[in-house]
Amino acid sequence: MLRVRTEGEEVVEVSVNTGYNHRGIEKLMEKNSWIKGMYLAGRVCGICNAVHTQVYVQGVEKLMGVEPPPRANYIRTVVMELERIHSHMLISAVVAEIVGFDTLFMLIMRDRERVMYLKDLVTGSRVHADIHIVGGVKRDIDEVRRDKILSELKVVEERLKYYRKVFEEDYTLVKRLTEVGRIRTAEALRHCLVGPTLRASGVKSDVRFDDPYAAYSEIPFNVVVRDEGDSWARMVVRLEEALVSVDIVRYALEHLPQGPAVPKAFPRAAKVGEVISRVEAPRGELIYHIVSTGGGNPYRVKIRTPSFLNIINTEFTYLGHRLADVPVIFASYDPCISCTERVLVVDEKRGLKKYLSLRELARWGTT
Amino acid sequence: MRLSVIREVLRNLARRPSTLAYPVRREVTVAPGHRGRHYADLMKCIGCSLCAVDCPANAIVMEKLPQQLKHNPRGIYPVVDYGKCVFCYQCVFVCPVKAYVTSEHFEMADYAISTSRELSLSSIRVGGQA
Amino acid sequence: MAELSIGNYSFREVGPRRYVVSVDPDKLREAVELVVKEDSYLSTISAVDLPKEGAIELNYVFWSIKHRAALIVKTRVSRERPVVPTIVDIIPGALGGELEAYDLFGVVFEGNARLRRGFLVPEDLTSKGVYPMRKDAGV
Repeated sequence: MLRVRTEGEEVVEVSVNTGYNHRGIEKLMEKNSWIKGMYLAGRVCGICNAVHTQVYVQGVEKLMGVEPPPRANYIRTVVMELERIHSHMLISAVVAEIVGFDTLFMLIMRDRERVMYLKDLVTGSRVHADIHIVGGVKRDIDEVRRDKILSELKVVEERLKYYRKVFEEDYTLVKRLTEVGRIRTAEALRHCLVGPTLRASGVKSDVRFDDPYAAYSEIPFNVVVRDEGDSWARMVVRLEEALVSVDIVRYALEHLPQGPAVPKAFPRAAKVGEVISRVEAPRGELIYHIVSTGGGNPYRVKIRTPSFLNIINTEFTYLGHRLADVPVIFASYDPCISCTERVLVVDEKRGLKKYLSLRELARWGTT
Repeated sequence: MRLSVIREVLRNLARRPSTLAYPVRREVTVAPGHRGRHYADLMKCIGCSLCAVDCPANAIVMEKLPQQLKHNPRGIYPVVDYGKCVFCYQCVFVCPVKAYVTSEHFEMADYAISTSRELSLSSIRVGGQA
Repeated sequence: MAELSIGNYSFREVGPRRYVVSVDPDKLREAVELVVKEDSYLSTISAVDLPKEGAIELNYVFWSIKHRAALIVKTRVSRERPVVPTIVDIIPGALGGELEAYDLFGVVFEGNARLRRGFLVPEDLTSKGVYPMRKDAGV
């Protein structure tokens, strides 16, 4: 929840009041086995479940001394990048809706369904991938599926290019998104922002590039950086990243290594030690700190999602803007909307207090 | 000033709507390999209980077999509670004899088949041989 | 390299792109000031409850863009009096991490005026004074 203090139309102070459900997950993981913890990790977030499972399994594999075969790494990469594409499409649609551009929202969601179908084809479900296992993946990609993905991606790529053009040129979007919520490079680093929010402020930092995992060390790709630092730059960075992801999936599928991807058995006990595991989720850097004292359960799993940093540390970016800009800035950080949907607006001068949902605030004034 | 979406909208007027009129018209197709309703084939199950141990949703309970089966000395078989199941298919993966029968069936909003008990029991062939 | 020196702190390598140094709580601010100058940002503050050793271990995980590595500053506080100086004035982005460690483990960050219970933990636990992530919390 955002608590917004205004004087008339101008925002004077913002404080974030959040409550996350994944705190219960950290405690639960200490009471359950490593394999159950893997599925728990996937349920922290619905839209980035493949990356959460990846970062957990990556850490656990280091603790268990298991190395997944190259083909499994490529398949994991394909699933994670497909997820990145549909996550970026979702936030583009949401920002369009908040600005009032419902038509664009519907168009993007329709094309997003193609990517959901591809995820279903590869993993067995549109949302939860559940394809990771310690030591590899649970299913393989055969020729038929591979060809279907490659042909569908051609259509998705065209649509993404079109949407990028819309965001770059459409009058309403440009007017409402540029110069709103500007974050300078030094501020972005001092406030520890991550992901597209950081990259739109001119910092070239991407975990896939700096700290490669899965198959990223073998796949060439560009890190998208812009230096405007406003909401518009953040959205354009995301759409460009989605196009880069299409290229990554294509490269990974065309260069899929031979060999097994599905392990026959997996270990159930880990050695003593601790590991810091980092990945690039669609919203930014996701980091897990896993501590093991031997045995079948983890001793401690610390989960730090990117939205934790991006939402709590950006209270300063709303100041001086009008009330109508608040939902636009908030949505441009790509929050996991289920966490903070509500906004409390306190108008100092007139002594008014109002609880609004984000959508209501965005539509206030329209019938 | 470019109203770039107007052309797209006009083009869409000529196409059929993207919304699927489910459940009035049941044209929804899921991808092949979709994780749908599953149950254990008791002619293969050996009662090792690995599926029940691994299930992250604690949806699998081992129950006593109604008759003796040679390949299942413990005499127990898994019953999946579809209300709790998250369809992660860890049970399907971990089974050492690949006893789980998978399907793409996803329309499960009924009380008639709320667990896999009847489906599993109906897989027992006369004679009890694997 | 197996060792990385920043100021007079010597980080040892524990894995590819992971360097660790252990400091006392009173040296924490000095170490953090040096690390921040290496073009880095605070990734997370991870607390681990160690009841057998009577301590809570705090891991300040930084990612340094200059060194392309994670620099981890470890420090320990006692469970009876878990007090450590705040770093929120050096890095404003540490706010979330400190609020979280306070609400879940009871670690007091001296100098942070915004510490409060109820940031993440629901009222039925805060009213009993329970820190849920501690091993003896009984949740």
